[in-house]
Amino acid sequence: MKNEAQKSKSLWYHAWESLVSDKMAVTCLIIVLAYFLLAILSSLGLVASDYAKEIGPSYAPPSSEYLFGLDIFGRSVLAKTIKGTEVAMSVGLVTGIISMIIGVFLGAVAGYFGGKIDEVIVWFYTTFNSIPYIMLLVAITFILGKGILAVYLALGLTSWVGLCRLIRGEFIRHKDREYVQAAAAIGGGDFRKIFKHILPNVLHIVIINFSLQFQVAIKSEVILSYLGLGVQGRPSWGTMINDAKLELARGNWWQLAAATAAMMVVVLAFNILGDALRDALDPKLKGK
Amino acid sequence: MKFTCIGLCLIAIFVTFPSCTKKDNFKGLSLNLAVSSQVKGMDPIYANDRYSSNEVARVYEGLLEYHYLARPYKLVPNLAESMPTVSNDGLTYTFKIKKGVMFQKNEAFGSEPRELIAEDFVYSIKRLADPKLQGLGWWLLDGKLVGLNDWRKKYSELPKADYSEAVDGIRAIDRYTLQFKLAKPFPQFLYALAMPFTFAVAREVVEKYGKEFLNHPVGTGPFAIKDGVFKQTKKIKYVKNLGFRKKKYPCDGSEKFKKEGLLEDCGKLLPLVDRLTVNIIEEDQPRWLNFQKGKVDFIAIPKDNFDTVIPDAKNLAPDYAQKGIKLIRSPSIDVTYTAFNHDLKLFRNVKLRRAMSLAYDIDTANKLFSNNQALPAQSVVPPGISGHIEGYVNPYRATGRPEQIAKAKELLAQAGYPEGKGLEEITYDCPNATVSRLTGEYFKKQMAQIGIRVKVQQNPWPELQKKITTRNIMAYGIAWSADYPDAENFLQLLYGPNRSPGANGSGYNNPEFNTLFKKAAVMQDSLERTALYEKLNRIAAEEVPWVFGVHRQNFVLRHSWLKNFTNSDFDAGMAQYLSVNKAKKEEMLKKL
Repeated sequence: MKNEAQKSKSLWYHAWESLVSDKMAVTCLIIVLAYFLLAILSSLGLVASDYAKEIGPSYAPPSSEYLFGLDIFGRSVLAKTIKGTEVAMSVGLVTGIISMIIGVFLGAVAGYFGGKIDEVIVWFYTTFNSIPYIMLLVAITFILGKGILAVYLALGLTSWVGLCRLIRGEFIRHKDREYVQAAAAIGGGDFRKIFKHILPNVLHIVIINFSLQFQVAIKSEVILSYLGLGVQGRPSWGTMINDAKLELARGNWWQLAAATAAMMVVVLAFNILGDALRDALDPKLKGK
Repeated sequence: MKFTCIGLCLIAIFVTFPSCTKKDNFKGLSLNLAVSSQVKGMDPIYANDRYSSNEVARVYEGLLEYHYLARPYKLVPNLAESMPTVSNDGLTYTFKIKKGVMFQKNEAFGSEPRELIAEDFVYSIKRLADPKLQGLGWWLLDGKLVGLNDWRKKYSELPKADYSEAVDGIRAIDRYTLQFKLAKPFPQFLYALAMPFTFAVAREVVEKYGKEFLNHPVGTGPFAIKDGVFKQTKKIKYVKNLGFRKKKYPCDGSEKFKKEGLLEDCGKLLPLVDRLTVNIIEEDQPRWLNFQKGKVDFIAIPKDNFDTVIPDAKNLAPDYAQKGIKLIRSPSIDVTYTAFNHDLKLFRNVKLRRAMSLAYDIDTANKLFSNNQALPAQSVVPPGISGHIEGYVNPYRATGRPEQIAKAKELLAQAGYPEGKGLEEITYDCPNATVSRLTGEYFKKQMAQIGIRVKVQQNPWPELQKKITTRNIMAYGIAWSADYPDAENFLQLLYGPNRSPGANGSGYNNPEFNTLFKKAAVMQDSLERTALYEKLNRIAAEEVPWVFGVHRQNFVLRHSWLKNFTNSDFDAGMAQYLSVNKAKKEEMLKKL
């Protein structure tokens, strides 16, 4: 590691270089960062904190005064969309982290140790994978009550299996490689081998998976809130789309448009970014 | 396979539609109705939803019915010769039934016409109580008639109920005299006799068809099912009952109907049409399109089409008016409300309840959720039934004026929560539907004005019901519709001993109210009872056990050719009074 001061570039530097050379990917990265920024500002109460305030007549259409129009209570659809961004991004982040921690840990342990441990974990995730997340959510809400915490847990606990499978496969491939044997030869323990040696070599999979998981979680949150199972008592893109169900017969399209556009842009950005990350990070795709 | 099926369906549609529009060679009058739900069958004892009971009431009849053109709703004799004589203690009801009323022809009767006799009612009502049949209307008579519960209990153990065993509570004294003995005073008993559950069936027919009786309706009513068999199809066809007794169109009615010319057919023999077709169309939009094409004679306006049909929320849009379509609006006998759980100490504080009610602007709610067409409720009893106080304004009913908000804040402070300090967050539970959630959000917003924090929580309908019955709830939004037009049906919602799992979901318990209610509930209809009802209604208003919502309105459109139509909350048997102007229909169909 020390020697890299000479000429050779690290894998991460390579990846970064290839990522920034892709204009599309950079644009998407900026979009995603902008959503994050907006979510942080809104959670700090710096923007859209007055979303519940009545600022004009019921169902005012979009105009220069009311940028995205107003909803049934005369609340700003723009402010609601921003508040919805906060919910969506937090759900994406927290579920992504939950599923990453569980997936990486179980996948690594199963792949590295093999044998009985592997069998148990494989049995566990195949069983777990057969629980639809809506069912799990309903079960969790019985304990925790409805709300964002239940959504985090339900989505996080049901989305780690894909990552776990990938990591397990990678660990099985890597554990007999020379560098791992070398680590063992100089006296490295299992823990050190897993986290210090093998994990950095499969980290790109985790990153790619995280970015893809993020947008799946956002979409799921919208569906759950649309069904009335998700966040309660605060705006979410899902509840906005649910509101629009009635409004459309009156010809009021703006709430639907705002929520779907906000969702589409961030999901699209994450998808493109995920692909770009894969291109940049996966050594097998190098030099293509 | 799938492709074939879809293809066939498409062909079927194309074939049926032109055949409907092609010129009808039928000489008589035909009436076309649309209903929005499947019908369970044609057995009166299973008719526990509005759709099934309406179909049952076309073929079968009961002792009493609601006067078609009287508002407030009034019971009049139907198969009974006159209203019953009631004993002084209010427990014995004696009916004379009409002579010479014939059942519709059926093989079960052989070739002889079969006359309706008092014994048929005894049989039909025992059938409702028969434990082997599990009739869905048993709740109506449960514990009400002397000996009927014992009879039911006895035969629930045995393989078959014995109808020949006499029950004291219901006896045929002679061929045309029927006597009911009540176990306890129940002045609303007569309403039960206007509900399809208690309509008369003939024993021979029931025994001939057994389980299939459900599909072989044979009554005394104005219409008979075509070909004698009810099939689960999307179209139920009826023909005029040619042997129907000489029942005449009413010659009296409320002033409003006189002015509208609904009494023109006075004295004509019923039913007024020769054929009746009921189309079962479950989805709103196809039903709506069928109405626009003139294939259905009247329709309740689907919620989503409200704005296009009544753009200013008052008058019909010109393009509908030009087609001769008329709008009929009528109040429906119901009340919406936000209930508090009075088990919680919090809500036993009347000042808090009053403050919350004063913070809730009902006019804006009406505008947002009812197109400004509902009537803000001042108390629990809706207009149209005695007990409702005309012109009464609840002092704690708010319309969003600043002084009301100021008063609400003052009351909140007096209640011990100045500006909402010290008050816990109130959870408001509502069903999953979008409108329910928005109503909840509106409540939250209104309460926020005076510093009360509310959390809106959505639930599937059964879960909400469960929360209410287990009393695991703080506040919730709900509505109540009348079972029968009597204030008792509404006031019982606040009667302490009725607390849930009974109908009193809020668990409101006020000794004064309870005493008065207990007294009024067993009184016969009288001025004295009305005065009591009004007093109870006033207590309910000022005590604010709930935040009252609105009394809703029905909006129905009818085509120009449909005669005698008026909206009713109790519309079983309505079809016999309706008529069609054939010339007008042919003329107007061209314009549609």
